[in-house]
Amino acid sequence: MDIDVVLDKVGRIFPILNDGVLVSVSDDEVRNLSQELQQTLDIAENIYESVFLEIKTLLSEKYVPQFWKHLMKCELRTTEEEKLKTHFINFQESILNLEDIFIKFSEIVRRTSVFKQSLPDSNQWFSSEQEKLNEILRTILLSQIPPHFNDVVYSFYSISFKVFANGHQSEVEGEDEDDSTELIDLKCKGCEREQDNCRCQELVCAFNKTNESLSNLGLLDRLAGHTLTSLIQDRICTFVKDKCSGNFEKSHFAFLEKWLKCVVINWLTRIFNKGHLKIDESNDKLKELIKNFEIKLKFYIYEIYGNVIIDQFFSIIIDYPDSIPAINDLQICLRSIDLRKYLIRSLKETLEKRLLHPGVNTMDILTAYVAAIKAIRHLDNSGIILETVTEPVKEYLKRRHDTIRKVVTGLTEEGPTDLNEELAKGEINENTDKTKNELSYWENWQPDPVDATPMLNPAKNTRTADIISMVVDIYGSKDLFVSEYRNLLADRLLTQLDFVPDKEIRNLELLKLRFGENLLHNCEVMLKDISESKRINSHIQSDINYIDSKSWEMSSLIISAQFWPVFNKESLELPEEINNEFIKYKTAYESYKGNRTLCWREVTGRVNIEIEIGSKTLDMSVTPSQAVIIWHFQDKTEWTLEDLSDVMKVPSSVLRKRIVFWQTQGLIKEKSHDVYTLIEEDKAAINELNETSKNDTVMEDEESESAMASLNDQREEELQVFWSYIVGMLTNLDSLTLERIHQMLKMFASNGPTTGSLGELQEFLQKKVKQHELVFMGGVYHLPK
Amino acid sequence: MKKIFQPKITMQWQKGNFHHRFRSTSTFHFAFYFPHNFFRLQKELMNLMMSAEKGISAFPDGENIFKWVGTITGPDDTVYTGQTYRLSLEFASSYPYSAPTVKFITPCFHPNVDLSGSICLDILKDKWSALYDVRTILLSIQSLLAEPNNESPLNSQASQMWPNQIEYKKYLEAFYEKNKDK
Repeated sequence: MDIDVVLDKVGRIFPILNDGVLVSVSDDEVRNLSQELQQTLDIAENIYESVFLEIKTLLSEKYVPQFWKHLMKCELRTTEEEKLKTHFINFQESILNLEDIFIKFSEIVRRTSVFKQSLPDSNQWFSSEQEKLNEILRTILLSQIPPHFNDVVYSFYSISFKVFANGHQSEVEGEDEDDSTELIDLKCKGCEREQDNCRCQELVCAFNKTNESLSNLGLLDRLAGHTLTSLIQDRICTFVKDKCSGNFEKSHFAFLEKWLKCVVINWLTRIFNKGHLKIDESNDKLKELIKNFEIKLKFYIYEIYGNVIIDQFFSIIIDYPDSIPAINDLQICLRSIDLRKYLIRSLKETLEKRLLHPGVNTMDILTAYVAAIKAIRHLDNSGIILETVTEPVKEYLKRRHDTIRKVVTGLTEEGPTDLNEELAKGEINENTDKTKNELSYWENWQPDPVDATPMLNPAKNTRTADIISMVVDIYGSKDLFVSEYRNLLADRLLTQLDFVPDKEIRNLELLKLRFGENLLHNCEVMLKDISESKRINSHIQSDINYIDSKSWEMSSLIISAQFWPVFNKESLELPEEINNEFIKYKTAYESYKGNRTLCWREVTGRVNIEIEIGSKTLDMSVTPSQAVIIWHFQDKTEWTLEDLSDVMKVPSSVLRKRIVFWQTQGLIKEKSHDVYTLIEEDKAAINELNETSKNDTVMEDEESESAMASLNDQREEELQVFWSYIVGMLTNLDSLTLERIHQMLKMFASNGPTTGSLGELQEFLQKKVKQHELVFMGGVYHLPK
Repeated sequence: MKKIFQPKITMQWQKGNFHHRFRSTSTFHFAFYFPHNFFRLQKELMNLMMSAEKGISAFPDGENIFKWVGTITGPDDTVYTGQTYRLSLEFASSYPYSAPTVKFITPCFHPNVDLSGSICLDILKDKWSALYDVRTILLSIQSLLAEPNNESPLNSQASQMWPNQIEYKKYLEAFYEKNKDK
């Protein structure tokens, strides 16, 4: 047998061995050759081996470097967009080229398998020669992978995704896509060319073809898998941020899931299923793959969406209850993904940054606090997040001095805090019910999450308490609120003489439910005093003796000193004539009520006066002090501040403030320093023009001045009472320890105001030590010698 | 009654500025567990503390309200000027219908005070009336320092020396310096 003939035959069948051209050869021919070789030369094995060796060499030295070179070409292009496009084209072309070669080799490999079948003892390395080829290609390809290869793949898929997403947009968003933008923007959103020569279809075709090739090459997962995942995550991230931020009024979950299914999953299906949307019934592996993808991506969407919501949680709180859908969404996210820690940290930070600085109104902080309580409670029923997150807010509110007043105002008046509404709901958590429920539903018990601070007091008051209790709890005691409410109520009752009690009674009843009857007993008496006064008043007005003697209408508000808050210490001496009227009224009262009498508080009240000056008369409603001032000016047109203060028994500083009212009315002027005169008629007429405008503002100023001693003043006064006791005990008992003083005060000063805590007493005593009114030595206090 | 707990009672002691309203509250029932004069003493203490009368002072000694310690300073322009005397006041359960037992703790050289501190003062004996109180007792003792009743002396030496004020003052000061810290 001629060796050349044999080699020629071998070259015909395996053209790569001698750089020949691939021609079609029948399987029989291959089989004949193999038997021939085996029988005559015993080199069939060697031929088989050398075919694979040759394939390996060719791939690693020629085709694969070519492939990569082509793929990575054009690195130096300038614009990002062009780069993307060239990447797309390069990738597509390289893959197609590679496929050509691959097909060629496949044929050869197929022949080797036939070639080998006819051999008697074929030790099989691979189950099939095709697989061996795949393995070789993959190994060689990946061993020569260039550094920026992923960029190219990324560009390729991102373009295709854009086209695909654009095509399915209307499907996801439904009909609400407005056409106007499309008309203006003549470019196709997918390929960014003019609509007329849109290349989308073309791109999709190329894309599908490339994927098919990749899939044929068995390289789809190896080359593109990693990049594909990160691309999809990127896209999901931008999409969620784009669509869902700033809009809390509807739930986005349905929309996001639809998008995931319609766009992302379909796109993936097309990639893996060679451009077709329908997966073969038999292709279980692919189905599984897509399904896994879907689950993974769904979680990814949860995470991204949860983060987006958390980042905007402050706005969500402020928008509550309009933002409930967003909170519901977050709840779903939290159920699948543990974002709790991030939520707590981020929310705490935002609250601190946005709320807790001096620039924010106390009322606004309260409003936000209430909204936060509502929103967070909606999110998390256990109250653990709430407890952790609102802690700094509580601490901060405690330090603001006007918090109590604002809370009380919020409770009694309609305002942005909704506290009033909450009060009206009147739901008080019944703790007993709660425990009972817990006992019967013990199976539903859930342990606290690990990050919850361990509870110090087992009574779950803060976690389950309602909003009002949460707000009142800022200070830890109800007493402060009640006494502030008492002051506010007293002010309101005293300044609004024509007041309708129904609303206040309603408020009081609601507060009583909340704070208990005992604490609000005083307020009840106050309200009762008002109606009682009206009754007594009308009785006295109908008393014939009184009617005969009185020279003008007078009504009184009779209040019980014990139950009202302490008044401030303003005083006022009434002129003789006016005082006589008061005495007449008092006499009438005494005859009506037997053993009781009235002590007048002259400063508080309202006087309707008619001033005749020159040709005109003024009708006004003023405070008693103002009325008395102008009264004095009717006898004597010029007063020095000092004289007037002597007559009225009002300190000159206060008096000066009161006179300002008449100055703005244009009736009195300050002639020289501290000397006031009545303005004569003509000037008064001129000033009358300004009068109406000024009137309102000044009157308001006056009204806002409280008749009650402020809380601080009251406490100061109470402490002053203690001080006299302390001086008393130290004078007689020389020196005492702090504890002893506290105990003695509790024992003997019980008629006085409530004894404060030991700490408060210590603070007070230290203040006295600083003022050198007390000496502290060797653990005991004594008076300085 | 050894220990007295602070009762939570809202009674109206002070003459308020306004017509009083009397209202019975449940807390009043506590009142019956206390001796009737408990409130009187407590009220007296409060009045005393509030009035801040110059030169006199008193306070319960800490254990209970029936035993007080008083302090008086010598009245101006007398030999006792500038001196401070401690007294003890003990109230019997029959107080205010019987006078309290008042004694000087600081030894006092005075015609009407004996060496054990007992005081000879009519209002503490037969002239006692329930209208008197701690404040008036202390004021009376203070004025007794200025004007002793030489007709019924307890300390005859002091009584004899009294007419010579310069001599008396000299002796008194030495006596006071020696005894004030006892």
